[in-house]
Amino acid sequence: MSLLKISIAGVRGVVGEALAPELLIQFAQAMGTYTGGKIAVCRDSRRSGEMALASVTAGLLATGCEVINLGLCPTPSMQLYVRQNKLSGGIAVTAGHNPEEWNALKFVRSDGIYFNALQGEELLDVYHQGEFDKAKWNELKPVADQPGAAEAHVKWILQHVDVERIRRRRFKVALDCCNGACTFASQLLLDRLGCDAYPINDNVTERLPHDPNPSGGNLSQLKAVVKASRADIGFCHDADGERLGLVTDKSQPLNQEKTFALAARILLERNPGVVVTNLSTSRMIDDLAARFGGSVVRTPVGQAFVSEKMRETNAVVGGEGSGGVIVPRVQLTNDSLAVIAVLLDFMAEKHCSVSELDLELPRYFLKEKDVVLAPYQIFAALQNLRSELESQGEVVDFADGIKWDWKDGWLHIRASNTESLIRVIAEAREESRALELLDQALARLGSVAG
Amino acid sequence: MKGIRTLKISISGVRGVIGDSLSPSLLANFAQSFGSYVGAGSVVVGRDTRTSGEMVRHAVVAGLIATGCRVVDVGICPVPTVQLAVRNLRARGGIAITASHNPAEWNALKFIKDDGCFLSSYEAEELLRIYHQNEYSLVPSRQLRGIRYYADAIQDHIDRIIGKMGALQTRFRVAVDACNGAGACMSPQFLDAMGCDVLPLNMMPDGRFPRPPEPLPENLTALCDLVRRSGADVGFAQDADADRLAIVSEKGEPIGEDNTLALATYYVLGKTPGTVVVNLSTSKVLDDIVSMRGGKLVRSRIGEVNVTDRMKRARAVIGGEGNGGVIYPDVNFGRDSFVGMALVLHLMQDEKKSISELVGRLPHYTMLKTTRQVASDQVPQLLDKLKHSYRDKKLDLQDGIKIEMDGAWVHVRPSNTEPIVRVVAEASTKESAEQLIREVDALLK
Repeated sequence: MSLLKISIAGVRGVVGEALAPELLIQFAQAMGTYTGGKIAVCRDSRRSGEMALASVTAGLLATGCEVINLGLCPTPSMQLYVRQNKLSGGIAVTAGHNPEEWNALKFVRSDGIYFNALQGEELLDVYHQGEFDKAKWNELKPVADQPGAAEAHVKWILQHVDVERIRRRRFKVALDCCNGACTFASQLLLDRLGCDAYPINDNVTERLPHDPNPSGGNLSQLKAVVKASRADIGFCHDADGERLGLVTDKSQPLNQEKTFALAARILLERNPGVVVTNLSTSRMIDDLAARFGGSVVRTPVGQAFVSEKMRETNAVVGGEGSGGVIVPRVQLTNDSLAVIAVLLDFMAEKHCSVSELDLELPRYFLKEKDVVLAPYQIFAALQNLRSELESQGEVVDFADGIKWDWKDGWLHIRASNTESLIRVIAEAREESRALELLDQALARLGSVAG
Repeated sequence: MKGIRTLKISISGVRGVIGDSLSPSLLANFAQSFGSYVGAGSVVVGRDTRTSGEMVRHAVVAGLIATGCRVVDVGICPVPTVQLAVRNLRARGGIAITASHNPAEWNALKFIKDDGCFLSSYEAEELLRIYHQNEYSLVPSRQLRGIRYYADAIQDHIDRIIGKMGALQTRFRVAVDACNGAGACMSPQFLDAMGCDVLPLNMMPDGRFPRPPEPLPENLTALCDLVRRSGADVGFAQDADADRLAIVSEKGEPIGEDNTLALATYYVLGKTPGTVVVNLSTSKVLDDIVSMRGGKLVRSRIGEVNVTDRMKRARAVIGGEGNGGVIYPDVNFGRDSFVGMALVLHLMQDEKKSISELVGRLPHYTMLKTTRQVASDQVPQLLDKLKHSYRDKKLDLQDGIKIEMDGAWVHVRPSNTEPIVRVVAEASTKESAEQLIREVDALLK
């Protein structure tokens, strides 16, 4: 597997192999040249965070940017800080849901949203040209340490829910902080909401305790805590506060797709309107929109697409099947802390449990498989498949890879933005049909990939 | 050759102009090279007050951590404080971020070994080889260690000087000019702890130098005024990283940088006779002091590390350079302006004499220093030409060429830090020193 991925989604790699200070410095110089002005930086709790943050700071300073160092904090806290303080952009040092050995830079623009594809390309052009702005000695700006971003973020979220209503319920909440960037902020949020928290993996000086993607087996520790503490709900964070995994009061881990489905259901019921999601997200969303009188708009995979489309359509909720949810009243970017508040607020208002909410969700079976290929093989494989389909006159959606929509299910084949692989996702009402679609796709891909 | 180069990678470290050639990538790669050279362990990082210090520090920290080092950040502090901290904290090495006496737009990395000395020329060659061959290591994330902040390095330094040399019994009024450099973070507290009344000047550690940082007589007019107005017993001037010290007498007159080391040596030899090591361009007054007070004088090549290397081998009691760099190994194995102040203040106390009286006892020479732009490909021929012309004189060829005559000398050598040839001459009168320079100049054309 490739240890470095430079793409319009930023730069991502394995520390000690590919991700060296020089590369990080030059990406930060590219950002400083491209954006200029005041730039916020933050990191998650990975061991390589200090090294990467120092690299980024050096690169930004060298181009004459003023650096606002938010230190260890959730990426969405930084995004909110950038927007509210009218900075020109931000860089988050985090590999999000990727394992401990990885790290990455995520680039944020002045409105707190990630760079879109065009901006990502422009940034890459600046990086590749290697001609960065160079500040002279008397043009260099300082670094300002600003440790309060996570706290300000929590305060801001509290303004968007009925705090007293939630406090009265005294929810018991199990919390897996993944020793990550949300460790402080999510405990603070739960405290303000009057919850009894049962935190685990809440030491940011330790390594990430498990793969930080909050799904599947990574929820097993949290499941045990929910059971032992008889908690009303369990929340599992990734390393930087973008993706949220859930465990019900029956100590049942929920499929990652359901985090968004539950949030969409809640926000649609409150305020029927547009839901924005990507092409790879479950049809549960279409059913929920229909149930509550809303509509669904789909975008290519990637948070920036969803954020921008939400603004355009004035959407009431957005998100992706990966467990990332956008609550637009709070901000137009994935924000696990906001999702926690919204869920607890709804449970308090309706006096319902999360397992009851889960039972009301439409039933689908979603199956996925990754096909790992060399970076240079990926686009050829997809292009071959695309030409084959075009010549056969099949009706498909080419907005992001290839997507087929049928009455009883759908299939999506696309190149990952962050790793060197092709993702194949199928969903159907029947499990056997979903598996069948997946197998067909893999066979087809096998024949064109050679 | 077009223009003046703004980057110099040499055995003295890496030095360049910010916003021009000294990029963060280059700095991080150098720090990585140093981390690979000393091996994963603690490395002390400190910086002077330059505006670029923060950018350079972040690049250096990134490079060091990436090779598995633990960074011990001592913040803004004098270079001798960093050197001492490396020893005190038992670190593998240190990086001092400073372009010492160069103007504000420059910055540089100086590499320190576990014994607190700078890398020797041989060791620096090894470091350069690692850098040039990209042989620096990167460790996987599980082996990464972080940053530790250590805030007591300056206090440790003050304690060590006072512990070794004692505070003063006599209360002197001392004016001190730190040039808004790293000395600003230590000089007032240090002199206060020594028992002096302190008259501070240029003590804003913001890297905006109010005068050129090199403590040459012509840069010290404000200090001279302060001494005169306040009736201070002495004035001290530091460069940006506080390794060099210049002295202004109670009359408000600069006594010349060479006399800093002369007075310090005079004091030390009085207490502990032994070997003194100075470089080839240091004043003849040191020869006179050694014959007055007893001891032996050894001359080394130019460059602090060459002096300290010789000092170690000769077990010298004191050494240094004529530019105001005093090395007193009992306290610190590097040029240290604070040690210089302590030695001179103790001398004033013990001898009960003013600075001008103390200087008046020393023989007087005039030293003239000039530089010449010489194309690099011309340097070896020019040196050969000089060697030939002066073949009947006593020559020292350790570093460039030094021609020694009765009561006078002239030294010609290519600079380690800038693309120039330096010519230094010293004689008992200004006229004869000028005559020596003219002679050499004629041959340099």
